[in-house]
Amino acid sequence: MLKPGIFLIAVLYCTLCYAQCDSINDSSARELNLKLSYNSTVIYPGMSAGMEYPLNNMNMQVFRNHKPVRCVRKGKYISGNLNWYHHPDFHDNLYLTVEWVMRRTRFTGFVSEFSVGPGFSRTFLGGTTYKVDDIGNVSVVKLAGYNYALVTIGGGFGYDFSIVKHLPFSTVAKLNIISMFPYNSTIYFRPVFEFGIRYSPGWLKIKIKKEPVSISKY
Amino acid sequence: MRKVVFISLILLFSGCQKEQITISGKVSEAFYVENAGASMRVLVQGNTASKTFILFIHGGPGISSYFYDTKYINKNIGDKYAIVYWDQRNAGASQGTVNGGNLHLDQMADDLKKVIEVLKFRYGQDMSLFLLGHSFGGLLAADFITRPGYQDMIKGLIDVDGSHNYPLNDTLTREALLTEGNYQISQDRNINNWSPIVSYCISHKGNFSLEESQQLETYATQAENYIDSIKHISVVNIVLKYSIPDKIPLTAVICNFLYTEDSNFNKELDVTQFSTSLNLVTVPALVLWGKYDFTCPLALGEDFYNRISSKDKRIAISPKSGHNMIFQDKQFFCNEVDAFVMSHK
Repeated sequence: MLKPGIFLIAVLYCTLCYAQCDSINDSSARELNLKLSYNSTVIYPGMSAGMEYPLNNMNMQVFRNHKPVRCVRKGKYISGNLNWYHHPDFHDNLYLTVEWVMRRTRFTGFVSEFSVGPGFSRTFLGGTTYKVDDIGNVSVVKLAGYNYALVTIGGGFGYDFSIVKHLPFSTVAKLNIISMFPYNSTIYFRPVFEFGIRYSPGWLKIKIKKEPVSISKY
Repeated sequence: MRKVVFISLILLFSGCQKEQITISGKVSEAFYVENAGASMRVLVQGNTASKTFILFIHGGPGISSYFYDTKYINKNIGDKYAIVYWDQRNAGASQGTVNGGNLHLDQMADDLKKVIEVLKFRYGQDMSLFLLGHSFGGLLAADFITRPGYQDMIKGLIDVDGSHNYPLNDTLTREALLTEGNYQISQDRNINNWSPIVSYCISHKGNFSLEESQQLETYATQAENYIDSIKHISVVNIVLKYSIPDKIPLTAVICNFLYTEDSNFNKELDVTQFSTSLNLVTVPALVLWGKYDFTCPLALGEDFYNRISSKDKRIAISPKSGHNMIFQDKQFFCNEVDAFVMSHK
């Protein structure tokens, strides 16, 4: 009698935990996210706008001494972003990135993420650009600047308001390191801070290849 | 809708590159000169209405002109004349893609000529232009000014702790370190610091390789720290003080410096000298030197002064400077430059 009783309690307990995790699944897990952020290097302004496509989501419960201590969702996304920053007298940089994003969301709403991906950059020099020919004629170069290959790598934190408050957005604060090459025959690194919001509009619901699955870890 | 977005982007970025030429007593404007794969930043500060321009040729190679742009210089020289801070190719805020193959002295002399042509295009052919070369900038100035017809483009030359002859520079650096080192040791001053320098100089007597040359330069920089009467400067403090107000693209400055410092260009420089052609120089010249400059010792300045054919020339020595008189004895520097430019503009 005792063993079936313990079994029953354990099953009910797990069901209770699953219930908590299911409430996470119903939020942005299956939706395209739109992103808008301030994208800058401390004092130089910029903007970033993009869209995230979810690849898969997995809910995990971690038990310690048969008690659930943590419930997290691990998600993977492909993110496409159009970014820009303005560094006066140096350049304006318009760059497109495609990032692979790994995100971890706790049931408290706290989010941590890591992203990496390639991109393409077009700079516009921060001042009138002149060219002088061999006989000394000076002319102005229109829209002077350079094309670069780019790699971005970054990580950050945020808060997902859909978990507790059931609001369809989340905030993010990230530090990205962008590297552009070939820049003067070398590589140019630049740290870029990103502060923004992600919005999950209901009308952008999609079907993802892998439906959210839940795994319990003891 | 697409057209609107496209036109907005064009307007946005072309707005940043709108030509701005200001003739007034207090100007600060940047533009770029594109040449052989590099877009080089040129910042004009100060009094453009004076029609007198002083073009700084920075050291390095690979150091940026940003570091020369100090409040003191702008206040004490920039109020009377316009100061031109030019970032050489692969230095400072200069930009480009695959252009390392063009990093050599001939190309840089051509860059300098084109920067001058653009300056005259913007501010008038009737301007009075002075070149001011510091350290490696002295070598580039010597290259430029000894080319046929080039010195006609300027009113005068100011050589500040410059190097017009790298092989001679190494020999003189060794001699200066040895002499000063032995003297300091005999006076019981910084013996632990001077001893390895003196030992190195004794064991490396001449015909220096690039590595030996670089080691001597390192010792020359360190040696300044062991002379109490020199004002010591900290690059970190300069960066912290000016990086935000001057909008310095710090990572670009560092990436460019690391690339240039390690490039084959230094092998070319190691055997470069203009001593034999300095007799072609006839424009007025001011030679400014730090008494305790071990990087480009005073004897190098005297060699420059003695070899140029200029009838109107002056050499002035700061008693409390090393290699960076511009920062170590800024009052002396500004007074000398001001007096020279005033009398030759």
